[in-house]
Amino acid sequence: MGNVLGPVLVLHRPLRREEPLTNPGSFDELHRKCKEVFPQQMEGVKLIINKALSSHFQVTHTIHMSTVGQSSYHFNTTYMGDRQLSPTETFPMLVGDIDSCGSLNAQVLHLVAERIRTKAVFQTQQARFVTWQFDGELRGDDYTATLTLGNPDVLSQSVIVVAHFLQSVTSRLVLGGEMVYHRRPGEEGAIVTLAGKYTALKWVATLNIGYGGAHASYYHRANEQVQVGVELEANTRLQDTTFAFGYQLNLSQANMVFRGLLDSNWCVGGVLEKKLPPLPVTLALGAFLNHWKNRFHCGFSVIVG
Amino acid sequence: MAPGGQAGGSGSPGSPREGLRDWIRSACRFAADRSDFRRNLIVNLGLFAAGVWVARNLTDIDLMAPQPVA
Repeated sequence: MGNVLGPVLVLHRPLRREEPLTNPGSFDELHRKCKEVFPQQMEGVKLIINKALSSHFQVTHTIHMSTVGQSSYHFNTTYMGDRQLSPTETFPMLVGDIDSCGSLNAQVLHLVAERIRTKAVFQTQQARFVTWQFDGELRGDDYTATLTLGNPDVLSQSVIVVAHFLQSVTSRLVLGGEMVYHRRPGEEGAIVTLAGKYTALKWVATLNIGYGGAHASYYHRANEQVQVGVELEANTRLQDTTFAFGYQLNLSQANMVFRGLLDSNWCVGGVLEKKLPPLPVTLALGAFLNHWKNRFHCGFSVIVG
Repeated sequence: MAPGGQAGGSGSPGSPREGLRDWIRSACRFAADRSDFRRNLIVNLGLFAAGVWVARNLTDIDLMAPQPVA
């Protein structure tokens, strides 16, 4: 009789292309695509002047006339080295920002080896050091591992250690985790958070979940003009949850970008950015209204360069 | 003296209708309690799901499309 089931048992599998696994990026950038859709809070009047002194050196002057707090002036400098890995990554990079009160914010980013990056961050409030932080990041072909030391203090025996690991499981799925350990005299503790990110053609969904709470975000690119972001944050320690819905409208023909926001704190806001060609000037108008607290603030800024 | 009319079906305190009324009352109290963490989490989860649905279904619009002629 033979094997009558033979032809049936031969499964015709479609040819499956193995997509190569790519580096998943850094842990801090998991929710970046969604966060970029939301407008930044604006109040008062801001003038920002960017000036590139050379291909390596750029300075920025920022004058902020505030309606809520104190007005301020910031002087920012950025030095970019020769090693350019991508349009947004150049090494070494030194960034410094000092304000009219003498508070300094400085960062140094350096590519120590092909796959090892280091970062040092210093923040002072006038004459006092508030933050000193050191990062080391190892970027493999399909994984990223980061170790951060926050405010290490040998004398008071205190430190904050943060470890991140992300692994590309498939070409679309990234899984990973974070562990935060803090130690002070008489107190120490650790929190573990798991993270996952799924990237599809037109959308990205990200979730961080742990004992301290959860953070979920969904980014959707509807078309060339419309992008939408939805975010949910829950903090078990503060017993607080927040939902936010944001959208971004790009009208490149009109040199205009509009970002809108609606959240569960009864806050509605929007920022309109308009480029004014042929001048290298961007005008931004923003307004935010908190219905629950009956607070409204608006502002505009002019960005030159 | 005619007995006063009573709302039909109230019956004894342990009756199913009383239990249902109490359940609805406590559910409404839970839904209106803004300081309850679980309630806020459920509400915001529902808003998140609604936001994702809106993002996936209602945002594919062409802002530069010509206006329809009346």
